[in-house]
Amino acid sequence: MKVSGLLLERLSPQEQRRLRTDRLMALFLRTCAGIAVLPVVALTVYVALRGIPALSPTFFLNSPADTEPGILNAILGSLQLTAVAILFTGPIGIAAGVYLSEYASRRVSSAGTMMIDVLLGTPSIIAGLVVFLVAVPFLGFSAWAGVLALSVLMLPVVMRTTQEVIRLVPIGVREASLALGVPVWKTTLYITCRTALSGLLTGLVLAISRGLGETAPLLLTARGTSAMNLFDFGTTINAMPMAVYEYSNTSSALLKEQAWGTALVLLVIALTLNVLVRSRTINSRVA
Amino acid sequence: MLQLTDVTAYYGDFRAVRDVNLIVPPQQVTALIGPSGCGKSTMLRSINRMHETIPGATITGSIMLDGVNIYADNIDAVRVRRAIGMVFQKPNPFPTMSIRENVASGLRLAGTLAKSEIEGVVEHSLKQAALWEEVKEKLDQPGTSLSGGQQQRLCIARAIAVKPAVLLMDEPCSALDPIATLKIEELIRSLREEYTIVIVTHNMQQASRVSDSTAFFTMGDDRAGYLVEHGETRQIFTAPKESLTEGYIAGRFG
Repeated sequence: MKVSGLLLERLSPQEQRRLRTDRLMALFLRTCAGIAVLPVVALTVYVALRGIPALSPTFFLNSPADTEPGILNAILGSLQLTAVAILFTGPIGIAAGVYLSEYASRRVSSAGTMMIDVLLGTPSIIAGLVVFLVAVPFLGFSAWAGVLALSVLMLPVVMRTTQEVIRLVPIGVREASLALGVPVWKTTLYITCRTALSGLLTGLVLAISRGLGETAPLLLTARGTSAMNLFDFGTTINAMPMAVYEYSNTSSALLKEQAWGTALVLLVIALTLNVLVRSRTINSRVA
Repeated sequence: MLQLTDVTAYYGDFRAVRDVNLIVPPQQVTALIGPSGCGKSTMLRSINRMHETIPGATITGSIMLDGVNIYADNIDAVRVRRAIGMVFQKPNPFPTMSIRENVASGLRLAGTLAKSEIEGVVEHSLKQAALWEEVKEKLDQPGTSLSGGQQQRLCIARAIAVKPAVLLMDEPCSALDPIATLKIEELIRSLREEYTIVIVTHNMQQASRVSDSTAFFTMGDDRAGYLVEHGETRQIFTAPKESLTEGYIAGRFG
């Protein structure tokens, strides 16, 4: 009798005030979230609006030097640079990450983690500057120099992600393998890494995502070119972010439009890679 | 036959269990019982050299398996673990492998058996672990798709697939429901004929049901565990020689 009376009673002025505050708070937070999302939405919509007119078959299939210019050399350049960079940084980064989280002593591990943090936080132009000062005198403005600059930026991404996902492998899985009489290196390679495989691949995708989007370091190392460069890593090569930078600085209306088109292509690639990473993270057990 | 002589186990400087002298009879089930924290699991993990996988953990004394000191300098810990298998408290099948791959994992990674023979061993091990009937139609399903009790039997199948001489079991039933527990206890009794089994258990009734000989540990004032008494299970539970043992059996502490 008493409890139902309590439940059916009308709200006191205190309770009414509390309810109003609740609703105001929810409204405030929702507004903040909307403001936060606004730039991303605005950016995507604007780039899409300005970039879509530039898209055409010739845009994708021609190079800047052709009569009807396109960005094929930039697309292929970006792909080559990032592919070679991940070929180096992938295995080395995963191996280093595995070492730091599985084999290293606590002191070495924390020192290594700190160094990765520093590398991760390095502004990309500094990476480009260092390669420019140290390697370009020997390599010249070339795709090799560009790969080097990108590797400096991509390596810590792979290492950090590897560390995190290896750490997430439950210790019981390792112990089960060791208790079977499996040697430590085989346990690490065939059991621990296999369990974390999904996460290791995520690290690679994140690194690729970073490599495709970097502009400043490439301006100082790979330089960019209007010619097609296929597999000649000893000379300058074009890349999509550089194309955006250069075309937006010209006075040609056509090139400016192509800058927007390239920006749109980059945005779509970035979004796709991001969605890919998130879908893997949500579905799998270990990052 | 397994013989522990003056075994003391350390975690760094901390002495966890001291001066253990114990003979584990072959083809029998030996239970290690005692209150929490008195070093039973530490002792068990010393037998298959898993104790040393923890940084800073060491032991002194000797553990002889068929006359060979497994801690000798020229003995490879990996070989020891192939001869002495272990089943853990929380079932830990490899998450990325199917049931078949789980059972075969020890053979593939630690052994040198031909591929054609592995399939036969998988079936034999699952039958020995009393799991074959339940999984024979779904051997390619992930190992983690089984229930807790089934996963533990899968882990047992995986451990016995490599044909160890000794099987160590660290509270294998504490994460399982009573029915699964009974199944595993039956399994342990049937495995006795082929393997020497050492089982750590918190459950006294389980020890009296399952084991042939029992060793009772307790913690001393210096926070180090020690072996109080060991002998035939029936004798320990009906006529213990030490008063401490009697106290634990009667439920007065622990």
